[in-house]
Amino acid sequence: MTFGRAVYLFFVALIMVFLVAPLGVIMWASFFADKILAFPPSGYTVAYYARAWQLADFSQGFMTSIQVAVCATVGSLLVGIPAALAIERLSVPARAAVREVLLAPMYVPAIVAGAAVYLYYIQFEIKTEFQLTATFLGLLIAHTLVGIPWTMRLVSASLVSNGGVAEEAAQSLGANALQTFFLVTLPVIRSGIIAAALFSFIASFTELELSLFLVGPGKTTLPIAIINYLEWNLDSTIAAVATVQIVIIGAALLVSDRFVNLGRDF
Amino acid sequence: MGPEKGARLRGLALVLPALLLVAAFLLAPLALVVRYSLDVYDPASLMKGVFSAENYVKLVSDPFYLRVLVFTGEIAALSTAICLVLGYPVAYFISRSTSEKLRSFLIIITVLPLLMGNAVRAAAWMVIMGTKGLANAMMLGAGVIDEPLKILYTPTAVVIGLVSVLLPFTIITLQSVLDAIPGSLEEAGRSLGFSPLHTMFSVVMPLSVPGMLAAGAICFCLAMNAYATPVLIGGPSVHMMGPLVYQQISKVTNWPFGSALACVLMAVTLTMTVISTTILSRRYF
Repeated sequence: MTFGRAVYLFFVALIMVFLVAPLGVIMWASFFADKILAFPPSGYTVAYYARAWQLADFSQGFMTSIQVAVCATVGSLLVGIPAALAIERLSVPARAAVREVLLAPMYVPAIVAGAAVYLYYIQFEIKTEFQLTATFLGLLIAHTLVGIPWTMRLVSASLVSNGGVAEEAAQSLGANALQTFFLVTLPVIRSGIIAAALFSFIASFTELELSLFLVGPGKTTLPIAIINYLEWNLDSTIAAVATVQIVIIGAALLVSDRFVNLGRDF
Repeated sequence: MGPEKGARLRGLALVLPALLLVAAFLLAPLALVVRYSLDVYDPASLMKGVFSAENYVKLVSDPFYLRVLVFTGEIAALSTAICLVLGYPVAYFISRSTSEKLRSFLIIITVLPLLMGNAVRAAAWMVIMGTKGLANAMMLGAGVIDEPLKILYTPTAVVIGLVSVLLPFTIITLQSVLDAIPGSLEEAGRSLGFSPLHTMFSVVMPLSVPGMLAAGAICFCLAMNAYATPVLIGGPSVHMMGPLVYQQISKVTNWPFGSALACVLMAVTLTMTVISTTILSRRYF
């Protein structure tokens, strides 16, 4: 190996460390025993995990985040799978434009989308006296939007890579549309759907900017609870909360790795 | 009704729920924001219900707001430039690694922090860059400095934080572009007696300029719209567009001005998205 090559390898390794190390550091800091977070620690404890759970903002934020993420995932699958199916397998008028619209939630900056949805909800409330801001439903609708592009992308990719031959064969053997879908298409795109569910869940669970406008007192999500806390404090409690989020997302990724090739399909 | 028309109707029926949801809860709200941005703020009734360009004029004529806009642009441009310089060699390495396992591993390492969310990542950088943070502890321990440096709550910290957010996007985009440049071109360069570095600069790089532009466009608009990094890592003295939108709409309830700010961000994003998708959809090989 030449000297130049060694420098190059070292540089690549350094960048990888720059990307991942912060996650390791905050996980490490969650076990520090000191009241004031400082390096190196004088000892280690797991007490901050218990303290974090005792703070209502975090336990309640965690529960809200899980509930919203699960419901939003179901919602985005319910509307996203049929849409992906229609776009890839049936004829849809203005197919390209429809696809762009369904992917739009991924491209519109979250802070802009959050502001827009918030103002729209208020306008809606004025017109109908039905409250959406600071409600679970309002949050759920916004998070469902976040999941739709992920569902579209992953389910579409799964449909494209599996062609339509099996469906044609089923139909020529006399299966009707519903039979074809449940007995042929669904098993074929199963891994795509699972991946879509996991990524929709991750996208919702970590969503910050959009939720910022839509949460209310007693109805915050975990990421919002984290940034609210960080505005005034930086200690092992917040490191513990962050670690919990890292572990949950990491677990979701580990599961999804069995169904999609993260290295290739991302 | 012919079978053709039946299939079209069925297709339409299947996309309709998703389409309506996005149209009703994203496109319509965006249209509303465009309308609000042309209204005028009134302390009593919030909005006067008129059409005026006042908010946009205010943004470019008020020194404070103009400064925020320009500063955000500067920070975004600087972060983008750093990301391209740091990301290019890494993307090239990933693209040219022959082992499929190593490739997958590197890509997973790259996107992993991306998926953890902005709040957690900002928290991690705060732990590293604080006065009692890891960076200061290490530099004090090594004797590089005598007093802790103020890193957190400075524009430098914001750039570091943004680079860590944007670098994964840069690497992934560049890597897919570099994948499309055949390795045979480098072999040709080397067989002509070029050094690896010379081959890089005279053969690969010129061919990947469109990819760099696309990656740069994506980075720039993500940086312009950043919220968590400027608020948490920048602190109260760093003013950027994302936090300003939130402050104007949620805290000050100056909806027309906040909407105008959001529209400016939307316009920047739209321009950058169009640039990057046109570049990336064109095929070079």
